[in-house]
Amino acid sequence: MWERIVEEAPRFFGYYNLIFLLKAMGVTFALSAGGCVVGLVLGFGVAVVRRADGAWLAPLRWLLTLLVEAFRRIPFLVTLMLVFFGFQVLNLDLSIFSVALVSVCLIATAFIAEIVRSGLDSVHHNQWDTAMAMNFSYLQTLRYVIVPQAWKVILPPVFSFFILFIKDTALASQIGVVELTYAGKVLNNRGFSAALVFGSILLLYFILSYPLARFGAWLEQRLAATRD
Amino acid sequence: MNYTLQFGQVTGYLPYLAAGAWLSLQIAFLAFCGGMVLGLLGAMGRSFGGVWLDRLIRAYVVFFTNTPQLVQIYFIFFALPDVGILLSPYQAVLLGMTLNAGAYLTEIQRAGFLSVHRNEMEAAETLGMNLWQRVRYVVLPHIMRVLFPPLSNQYILMTLGTSMAAIFGVEELTGRAFNVNAETFRSIEVFSLTAGLYIVVTLIATLILGLVGRYWFRARMRLV
Repeated sequence: MWERIVEEAPRFFGYYNLIFLLKAMGVTFALSAGGCVVGLVLGFGVAVVRRADGAWLAPLRWLLTLLVEAFRRIPFLVTLMLVFFGFQVLNLDLSIFSVALVSVCLIATAFIAEIVRSGLDSVHHNQWDTAMAMNFSYLQTLRYVIVPQAWKVILPPVFSFFILFIKDTALASQIGVVELTYAGKVLNNRGFSAALVFGSILLLYFILSYPLARFGAWLEQRLAATRD
Repeated sequence: MNYTLQFGQVTGYLPYLAAGAWLSLQIAFLAFCGGMVLGLLGAMGRSFGGVWLDRLIRAYVVFFTNTPQLVQIYFIFFALPDVGILLSPYQAVLLGMTLNAGAYLTEIQRAGFLSVHRNEMEAAETLGMNLWQRVRYVVLPHIMRVLFPPLSNQYILMTLGTSMAAIFGVEELTGRAFNVNAETFRSIEVFSLTAGLYIVVTLIATLILGLVGRYWFRARMRLV
């Protein structure tokens, strides 16, 4: 195995292959980052609606709870297929990348909605009561009382979810998004040995994910220190 | 939008898919058990082993938790034959999932180990217990209460993770869904049925694990 890797390495790490791999790495990053930003916004909305009271919101609350619980229990691969074929049914002509992005957004929304919900719950209920006693509306309570305290609880797990999704987007290669794993498959099909190709792909994922994981751990410690 | 959903064509495949779900559960269970053993060894090594063992295990954990499971299995399946290790898809998936789970479970169990008070360990040592006895009779009963919720969470995530096996041609739930899709071309129906089965399977798993956790280990857990 070693002779073959040593023999192929100069050709494998040629200029155009490197560009190809770096671009693919960018797609992996864009897919998970974009999905998580959208997921954070939508997930926040979902959590806020689920916490709101008001009888007329009840059907919406039920629907959102159902969706959140469902999408947390469907494997990413199946979600991808559902979105992929769902857009065909709707006759929408979207790029493969957008299909993958929508799937990531769906899953991210479901998971982050739960994170935000537990974040909002982590604020002591006295704070909610006090805000109500001071005649704050629900949105004012969130804006001035809850979110300033809750974001420190919410952010670290959202960040680790983002890192989780850098790895999970590897499945998007199955529908043909040219991200890191797909790039590996292409290079493997071009005749480079699997050990070299997939070893490098593993390493590239590691290079992408490890600094972010360290940053996330630092963030968690930092925010935990300022929280009381 | 001129597409009519035809669930009638795929509901006949429900027993076929359910058998696939059973295989998914088996893979998840085996990989989880293997991962638990690896994780227990890893956590013991990190907590009680020497510096080099600690570094080695940390490198294993960091590497496996920062790279995708799919690519790990690709490596096992496509690259290991070069050195003469030829695995069937099922074995490759199981090995990959076990190694991956081992890394995550090392971290989870180590966090549990850290929660055990030092005095208790010293008391056990004074009583002449060896390392295995200390882990079995002092550490485990104590930390299961703290540990059970994240462990059952990991188990649910792994059940979902088994869908990866489909890519290597293992005929578990997702793999069979691909088969049915190829036979009937009723894609959206097949995959929504599959999604429903995954929801049912994981809901049952959550319920059972929640009951076990509540009544056996007195852990605080949601049942659904």
